[in-house]
Amino acid sequence: MTDVALSRTGAWLLRAFFVFVVLFLYAPIVILLIFSFNDSAVPSFPLSGFTFHWYREFLGNSDLKGALETSAIVAALSSVGAVVLGVLSAIALTRRRFRGKSAVSALLLSPLVIPYLVFGISLLLLFHQLGVPRSLLTVVIGHIVISLPYTILVLVPRLDQIDVSLEEAAFDLGASRLRTFRSITLPLILPAVVSAFLIAFTTSFDEYAVASFVVGSRLTFPIYLYSALRFPNQLPQVIAVAVVVLVLSLTVVIAAEVGRRVAERRLGAAE
Amino acid sequence: MSIAARASPASARRRWFRLDLTTPTLLGLPLAWLAVFFLVPIAIVAAYSFDVYSIDPGPHGFTLQAWHAFLHSSVYLSLFWKSVKMSLIVSATIVLLAYPLAYYLALSGTKRKYVLLLLLIAPFLTSYLLRVLAWKVILGNQGALNSFLVWTGLRSPDHPISQLLYSRFAVMLVLAYIWLPFVALPIFVSLESLDRRLLEAASDLGATRLQAFRRVTLPLSLPGIFAAFLFVFIPTLGEFVTPSLVGGTSGYMYGNQIVDLFGTGFPDWETGSVLAIFLLGVVGVLTIVFARFLQPRQVTAE
Repeated sequence: MTDVALSRTGAWLLRAFFVFVVLFLYAPIVILLIFSFNDSAVPSFPLSGFTFHWYREFLGNSDLKGALETSAIVAALSSVGAVVLGVLSAIALTRRRFRGKSAVSALLLSPLVIPYLVFGISLLLLFHQLGVPRSLLTVVIGHIVISLPYTILVLVPRLDQIDVSLEEAAFDLGASRLRTFRSITLPLILPAVVSAFLIAFTTSFDEYAVASFVVGSRLTFPIYLYSALRFPNQLPQVIAVAVVVLVLSLTVVIAAEVGRRVAERRLGAAE
Repeated sequence: MSIAARASPASARRRWFRLDLTTPTLLGLPLAWLAVFFLVPIAIVAAYSFDVYSIDPGPHGFTLQAWHAFLHSSVYLSLFWKSVKMSLIVSATIVLLAYPLAYYLALSGTKRKYVLLLLLIAPFLTSYLLRVLAWKVILGNQGALNSFLVWTGLRSPDHPISQLLYSRFAVMLVLAYIWLPFVALPIFVSLESLDRRLLEAASDLGATRLQAFRRVTLPLSLPGIFAAFLFVFIPTLGEFVTPSLVGGTSGYMYGNQIVDLFGTGFPDWETGSVLAIFLLGVVGVLTIVFARFLQPRQVTAE
């Protein structure tokens, strides 16, 4: 059988290339994993023995745990904020007709293309000008802005997918728009809402550039990590945390994606 | 019955007071949020660049002095060109690398394409700083790569491969590593939506695979290529984290200069604001030029 897009040799070559690139992408992560168990303060070959020392040390490091906790709070608050704003915007963009829609949607998505450096400085100057002290809240405010377009990009395709006549039926039967949203729309877009929430959460949890300008005295995890990278003696410990965070975030991301697909398939079957 | 109830004046009045999802209700909050925390802040940076606002005490007012100095300074502009060149090389290289990956996933007919796509993209969704950290561990003079080469006898301990870390090369390698998975996504989406019957038609009409690729597949996937390119070029142009961690002095980029102007050493917010607004302007123009290739749905994985 011949294929119009690829010859057999071509397919084989591309598969080999794909494997090669995937190895290249995962090798650094695997190397971190190996060194996190290596019994030496310097991450270099040959390996000197197996240890859980670095993991124990990181569990006893209160600064580090404090930073993780701070980031979790910031990420939770900002992702809830971004999802709420995202749902409101996505409904307006998909279900309402109004003038200047393309301008509105361009504005809502524009945080995608602003260099975060420039946005961080802008926020810094805003808060400086208003005399607002930098704190967790100022980081949350910034993270809501940068997560918002991602939530919209996840929610809009899902809203486009579901059958508008279901909402029209509810509305015709006397439900208010809000009631229609609660009883019909929200349950149908729930998988996308969850996935928007997770994307916003991971975006915020990992965000360094904007946070570095508006963070207060309580450091977020990326800020802590960045400063720790300057002290070589903390390196193995940081690697251990790195591994934990990497594995956790990979798990969350993959679980979220698989979950969303399964849930949407079910909802799709029910529609 | 219910229709009659709806039409009654009492119910209508109640509805009047009830919160409802009208268009202004829906858009009010998101737009207000972006106005106050996105547009106004940028306007303030612009105001600083014209010395309308200033951190210096004493009189100040509108002036183009900092802009004039910037446009006539060889230091800032050559640093900007250096950063443009670095981001161009990184973006072009990884678009070239990502295209065959996306092509393989979208067109080879593999059954597990979404699993493989997730495998490819997953690293992008993990911590940015930690992926930079991994390269710091690998590239150092006593790092994983050099110590491995010495250990296996491939290289003598006196002559490690030097200048792997803290160089322009290190910055570009790490940036390419970080953005490669992401770049595959928009290209995949554009190839995925390609109608295969077009290729069959080309083949029936006697085109070879190469001809079909050049005349059909490639032109139709151009929007994805442009989107991919832009989505890497913009953030790498304003990059400052990777160069500050693995760049040393030779990997110093335009973004680092901006950070330093707002830093604790010798802050110069006026000049810093000029540099920031200039960067934003360049990015804005690029985005508008490429805007027709950037339909939102092309960047979501569906």
